[in-house]
Amino acid sequence: MNHNLQKAGATLLNALSRHSDLVMQAYFSGAIDESEYSPKVIKSLIDLKIMWRPENERGLRLRPALRTLLEESLQDESNRQIDANIGSSLASLSTLAEHYKESLSHGRYREAESHLSDLTERVYSLTDMLATNVRLIWQRISNEFGYVSTVDAKIRENELAQSQVSELLNQLSLFQFDQLSLIAGSHRELRTLLVVTLQSSFAHCTQELSLAQSKLIDLLGRFREFKGRTRLLKGFVLHMEQKPDFAPQNYSKLSQVPSLFNVSGAVIKPASIDVNRVEQEHELLSLVQSMKHINRNKQAVRSVSNTGPLVMQDSVAVALEESRLKAAVETFFCDVIDAGQNVTALDYYEQKGLDFDKEVWLYQIIGGYHGLTEQDKAYFAVETIGEPDPQFNGNYVIRDIELGLR
Amino acid sequence: MNSPLGRVLESLLSGQFICQTTDEDSYRFLKSSENQQQVEAQLAIMNRRLATAAEEQVFFAAYADIGESERDQLSKQFEDISNHLMPLVEWMLLVQEALNKDLSLSQGMNLRLAELQTVIEDTPAYAEQLNKISRYAMFGSKAAELDAQLKLVFKRLVELGYLVRPNQDKQIYTVTGKIDYLFDVIKFIDETEQLSLAQQAEDAMSQTNLI
Repeated sequence: MNHNLQKAGATLLNALSRHSDLVMQAYFSGAIDESEYSPKVIKSLIDLKIMWRPENERGLRLRPALRTLLEESLQDESNRQIDANIGSSLASLSTLAEHYKESLSHGRYREAESHLSDLTERVYSLTDMLATNVRLIWQRISNEFGYVSTVDAKIRENELAQSQVSELLNQLSLFQFDQLSLIAGSHRELRTLLVVTLQSSFAHCTQELSLAQSKLIDLLGRFREFKGRTRLLKGFVLHMEQKPDFAPQNYSKLSQVPSLFNVSGAVIKPASIDVNRVEQEHELLSLVQSMKHINRNKQAVRSVSNTGPLVMQDSVAVALEESRLKAAVETFFCDVIDAGQNVTALDYYEQKGLDFDKEVWLYQIIGGYHGLTEQDKAYFAVETIGEPDPQFNGNYVIRDIELGLR
Repeated sequence: MNSPLGRVLESLLSGQFICQTTDEDSYRFLKSSENQQQVEAQLAIMNRRLATAAEEQVFFAAYADIGESERDQLSKQFEDISNHLMPLVEWMLLVQEALNKDLSLSQGMNLRLAELQTVIEDTPAYAEQLNKISRYAMFGSKAAELDAQLKLVFKRLVELGYLVRPNQDKQIYTVTGKIDYLFDVIKFIDETEQLSLAQQAEDAMSQTNLI
């Protein structure tokens, strides 16, 4: 191991960590403001090949290799570079494989080992590159090119990604496994590297890429659709501004109604409460409890006019009935005076064979008595016959009335 | 509990549009042709059939035979739709521009009311536009405050089925497939009346570019 190289590497990494602020500033803004940093620092960074000046009078920029490293490690979505140079990688692989075979056949094992480790490194970096490229494409698909805001930009990005995918697929067709396996021959290590590892990576990559391709086309269609929709909306507004009285003809009047406008009306209304369903009692109760406000319709004002026509009713019969009862009571009072004896109302009722309701008869007698003048009342002694109600106290049930003279 | 078929029939017969956003289960149910046949058979009894729009993203019930009464009903509906077109188109453009998404609304998109409100409040032109939109008969707002106008517009759009509010506690709305249906309607009118709306918009845009 070269001691000098190791020392130089450590210096470089130390410089990166010491000036990380400056490096990140250059990464995000593209160039740095040289007035903010001391010329000595800047000079050392240039010497270490961390920064470079593309042209005189231009700002200092990060070296592309360092930028790529940062993008890769940070999984920054602004990393849109896709390195599709598979052809040259494959050529260097076969060259290295030839070196290795030659060294082996000449018995230079140390040299062969170093060639093999070189080759392994190349193969893995190639598979890693393929995997990274596929991941980058998918990342862009999954956030739908979110790093650009307008649909137009998205469409351009999508087209770029599509061309990159097809480029990658073209490059992948450079893999010729029959040749690779010929180169590998019977060497076990070479075969594992050149055939097994590369083939699995190849298969995985092509499969993912073809999926990505169809997805990209799908997305492109959607972006175009969005663009079309926006144009449609804007066009409609413009049209209405120019012709404010525009109204589409009523398509439902056409003999063949377009299916778009054939929307049937609502026929179902929510079902009603069934208060007789005992099993729903609980839900209904909770509904009632949660009611905060009951809004009753105001009672409509009663109309003054009578609804039916006025008809004169025959009220004479009723009056007669009433007066008959009254006359009977009067006769009863007179009879009591004439007889000069105490008579109970029901006895008199039986005696005369009256046909009124007994209760009505008793009521009428009480009423008749109370209807007399104070002077007349003084002649009579009224006694009620009955008993207190067996169940409710304070009530007195009158069975009969005894009337006599004082 | 209602069976999936029952749920679908109830939604369809109450005039709803079924899409993945409004009712994912019913939507999946309708995606199978076997289930579709079942639904068709039931709808046929009531002179209805299953119809789809926006590349089978929404399902709704249509009349199988159109007689006089059906025609009256459709005619009334069409008037509603054509009266709603302008307010809806302006609303969609407002939302799209305010959120600076540059993506027109489509099913499944989430709209955060608070986010929209902040942008509209900060931009007088948008506030004016919202004021105009909220005064259309479709929304019928009389409120002077932006907050009330915006809430009313969204509430009305939920009622009409263009938006759903998945969580009643949050002011986040999801666009339903009915918006995609609306785009189909605009496209249809564009083609039938030969308005070439997209061309008009293109011309207008290139003119502003020239200036």
